[in-house]
Amino acid sequence: MLDRAAVQEIVLHALETLNDERAPEDQLVPGPQTRLFGADAELDSLALVSVIVDVEEAVSKASGRTVPLTDDRAMSQEVSPFSDVDALTSYVVKLLSEPA
Amino acid sequence: MTAADRVLSGEFVNLRPLEVADAELTFHWRSTERARFLNAGARTVEHQADWIAGRPESEYNYVIELVDGRPVGMLSLTGIDRVHGHAEPGRFLIGEEAAVQGIPAAVEATKLLYGLAFDDIGLVRVCGLAAAENTLVVKWQKFMGMREEGRLRNHFFLDGRLQDAIYLGLLVDEYRTTTLPRMNALIGAARSR
Repeated sequence: MLDRAAVQEIVLHALETLNDERAPEDQLVPGPQTRLFGADAELDSLALVSVIVDVEEAVSKASGRTVPLTDDRAMSQEVSPFSDVDALTSYVVKLLSEPA
Repeated sequence: MTAADRVLSGEFVNLRPLEVADAELTFHWRSTERARFLNAGARTVEHQADWIAGRPESEYNYVIELVDGRPVGMLSLTGIDRVHGHAEPGRFLIGEEAAVQGIPAAVEATKLLYGLAFDDIGLVRVCGLAAAENTLVVKWQKFMGMREEGRLRNHFFLDGRLQDAIYLGLLVDEYRTTTLPRMNALIGAARSR
């Protein structure tokens, strides 16, 4: 099973992949507190979708589990999973901790 | 007023019909690095104005505006075939990337355009080509429910070289069951918590 550090690495890698598509002056510096979406965020919706797709695919490949990140449950979380890297990491870890 | 003259209103963005007065702004957007995957456009602002003035009434061409009125991009629905019920969404460009950070501008603009296509006009399918190397847009379209229906080899000469085009299509049922919930989820994610 993926631990928290491994999940965070997947999220950070998704942001680094995004940098390949961005101009040198627009490069992200990914870290646990990097804001993703919503107020004061770093990403627009195209970039957020890229991160969601990459994280879903990488987690599925590493764990054999499907982790839907844009279903009703994700949207009903008290803290949005997309507010920052930490929140997205926590949400994925929470999904993976539940019975398949 | 025709349907193409109407502003499509959303929560974060509106789609306002493209006007000749937008020539300078849209010419600037189309001259930037991020427009490298669009077909070559006008070479001068005057040509851009002529191009806008020459758009047929059968096309829906919009400027994406934030609700405070700031223009941030453009989007169109063209090739509308009312007999066969399909059309092509395209000319999609976010020209002011910094202005849309944290704002679901692209997703809500697309939602408004698909609402026009499927709900207002009553189409059954939208489809079109994307450059294979435009990975952000291809990933985006597939996440939004579009399916890859084919690949055209060396179809585009963009960014200084030939590259494949991917043919993507979305049916009205897929729009309702897959696209709309995902769009609503992303729009919801942008609301303050």
